[in-house]
Amino acid sequence: MKKAIIYINQFFAGIGGEEEADHQPEIREGLVGPAMLLNQLSDAEVTDTIICGDNFMGSNEEEAVEKILGFLEDKEFDIFFAGPAFQAGRYGNACGVIGKAVKEAFDVPVISSMNEENPGVDMFKKDIYIFPGGKSAAKMKDDMAKMAELGNKILNGEGPLTAEEEGFFTRGIRHQVWLEDSKPAADRAIEMLLKKVNGEEFKSELPIPKIDRVPIAEPIKDLSEATIALATSGGIVPVDNPDKIQSASATRWGRYSVEGLDNLPNREAGEFKTIHAGYDPAAADANPDRVVPLDALRAYEEEGRIGKVHEYFYTTVGTGTTEAEAARMGQEMVEYMKDEGVDAVILTST
Amino acid sequence: MRLEIGNFPVEDIVFGEETSYNDGLLTINKEEALEVVKEDEHITEADLVIARPGEEKRIVPVKEAIEPRYRLNGDATFPGVTGKVESVGEGRTVALKGCSVLAVGKHWGSFGDGLIDMSGEGAKYTYFSKLVNVCLVADTDEEFEREEQQKKNHAIRWAAHRLAEYLGETVKDLELKEEEVLELEPITKRSQDVNDLPSVVYVMQPQSQMEELGYNDLVYGWDANRMLPTLMHPNEVLDGAIISGSFMPCSSKWSTYDFQNCPTIKRLYAEHGKTINFLGVIMSNLNVAMDQKERAAMFVQQIAKSLGADAAILAEEGYGNPDADFIACFAALEDAGVKTVGMTNECTGRDGQSQPLVTLDERADAIVSCGNVSTLIKLPPMETVIGELEALARDGLSGGWADDEKLGPSVKEDGSIIMENNSMFCGDQVLGWSPKTMKEF
Repeated sequence: MKKAIIYINQFFAGIGGEEEADHQPEIREGLVGPAMLLNQLSDAEVTDTIICGDNFMGSNEEEAVEKILGFLEDKEFDIFFAGPAFQAGRYGNACGVIGKAVKEAFDVPVISSMNEENPGVDMFKKDIYIFPGGKSAAKMKDDMAKMAELGNKILNGEGPLTAEEEGFFTRGIRHQVWLEDSKPAADRAIEMLLKKVNGEEFKSELPIPKIDRVPIAEPIKDLSEATIALATSGGIVPVDNPDKIQSASATRWGRYSVEGLDNLPNREAGEFKTIHAGYDPAAADANPDRVVPLDALRAYEEEGRIGKVHEYFYTTVGTGTTEAEAARMGQEMVEYMKDEGVDAVILTST
Repeated sequence: MRLEIGNFPVEDIVFGEETSYNDGLLTINKEEALEVVKEDEHITEADLVIARPGEEKRIVPVKEAIEPRYRLNGDATFPGVTGKVESVGEGRTVALKGCSVLAVGKHWGSFGDGLIDMSGEGAKYTYFSKLVNVCLVADTDEEFEREEQQKKNHAIRWAAHRLAEYLGETVKDLELKEEEVLELEPITKRSQDVNDLPSVVYVMQPQSQMEELGYNDLVYGWDANRMLPTLMHPNEVLDGAIISGSFMPCSSKWSTYDFQNCPTIKRLYAEHGKTINFLGVIMSNLNVAMDQKERAAMFVQQIAKSLGADAAILAEEGYGNPDADFIACFAALEDAGVKTVGMTNECTGRDGQSQPLVTLDERADAIVSCGNVSTLIKLPPMETVIGELEALARDGLSGGWADDEKLGPSVKEDGSIIMENNSMFCGDQVLGWSPKTMKEF
């Protein structure tokens, strides 16, 4: 019989709510909480339950992942489940983080379920199977049933497992398939055309993602009076990375003072470096101004071409970061900038 | 314009004394046929081999496919290629159905060449496994391109067109059993009933991205790189006015056979007068520079507007860079209020995770998708190879490789192969046959 392992949080393990959210990762042989339901529904035997507090995963991600992967090292399992996480944001994030790590380390299918509002969906739908789930645990049975059903199909070698037929969130993984009715492309095109012409609903075979366009701002009338801020997705941070910004798929950002600095002292000087995992850090570590051009902006300030450089630069990591997270972080940054009278921002990427 | 095509079904092809057609059996006098092939002195070696559906045969490198045809008034079947430039699409043509002439390199392949398996798992990847194929297996003295990845393949492609015309001539005096009539009234002379239906143009973007002449699709023998979009009668496309080129990754390619039988045109004809008013074909092209792409899209838009088209079907022969032409044209048509459906394939990579087209636009809201060029395909050996199997790995075919760190060479010692869909001969069938689509996994 095939074997499965499931990840759940401290709440569903019956350990406790918010007060126990710092619960350390543990593995228990057998079935805890929702693992029992999964074991009934799955063709696989659920052998172990992994439990971790949502806060612990959120604040000590590296440690949590390392511990859990360690638990799994000597286990035999064919498939991994996480959640369902419903609308719980931290739980969704935890399911995604651990699901992705398990998939990468052990190359087994990973299945989860989250409500569409859960930020974990956008962050991890490309990495693992995530089903659209209910808002609360009232939907436990329905959500787990979907997870188990897909798991059974995978374990039994059934397919093709398309998002359309199975119902999981699309992952941006597109492959060709032969249509069951072999309907030729010409017939599909005419049918689509007639529907489009007649104002009926039609379904494109290549849906174009909606692009969230931002209108270009009005130009600054007088730069010599303007306060200019620097912002980057290039991951420049103080060497101890005080805000623990992630090296990829970032959800956190920071702002750091440049008051009194003509340029950004480098890693060797113990001041600034990049934590961005998506490019060769050598040049940025040697001279962080290549990513956050404070030196050039100071020169403009000196020459009177701009009014002044804003006191802080704003930073996060762009690689793997979802549009939704990026937009949220941008909006949060803008609040500070507005409050402090920033007129314009130079946003550098890598 | 009225075109009558007399169809002669071919169930089998054999070699014999006299080139003749009798009740579904096409007999070829090989010697005589090869004389037609060798009219061009650049053909140094040539042979004909028959490949039937279900046979354990693998054909590679395939450069072109043509349906044998003959124009009964004696004009060139392929104007500008097998004879003088004279208009086609009107009058009478005879056709041998269910078969094709394939131009196959005896040794040498090139970027745009493809592979056909006549049976087994590989057969589903190409339409041509369903036809009885006369394979013209030839070599030439075109030394200037022997080592080039891009080859014009002129001698062998033109020889295949002559051969198709020679075979088509076999039935010129025979009594017709089945005739297909293709007739569209002039646009301004249609009845009120037809005029009241939504009017539709078919916009074709044949491959024409090589700046140097000799590689691109031809329109009446004219290189499509050197033209601006123009209005054509669909009968011209079906009757040999367009000749396929020698440039594009093969699964995206539209062979001459595909043009002669274009399923989308046939389907538009079937709907004409019932659900739509089929105005005709806007023959566009594909370009390299941005201003060329924009100019072509502008011309297509203008022609569609001038005709008063309500709707359009738009198809591109290619992927990657030409996606920009496709999307620009799509957007231009939508901007002009012409409701458009696009037909294309995608390049989502072996893992399916790449952006499907190099450029996207929200206006392209209705697309029929015909396959993924980069799907990895493994196939077992075949009993017989027609052509030279090593060409797939050696000669820079778009879906083959000499070596790969993980996958090894495309051609294995036992004759099995691993390749990308890119080199399946005309595999994505964007002209309308494709039984494939793309789904999210």
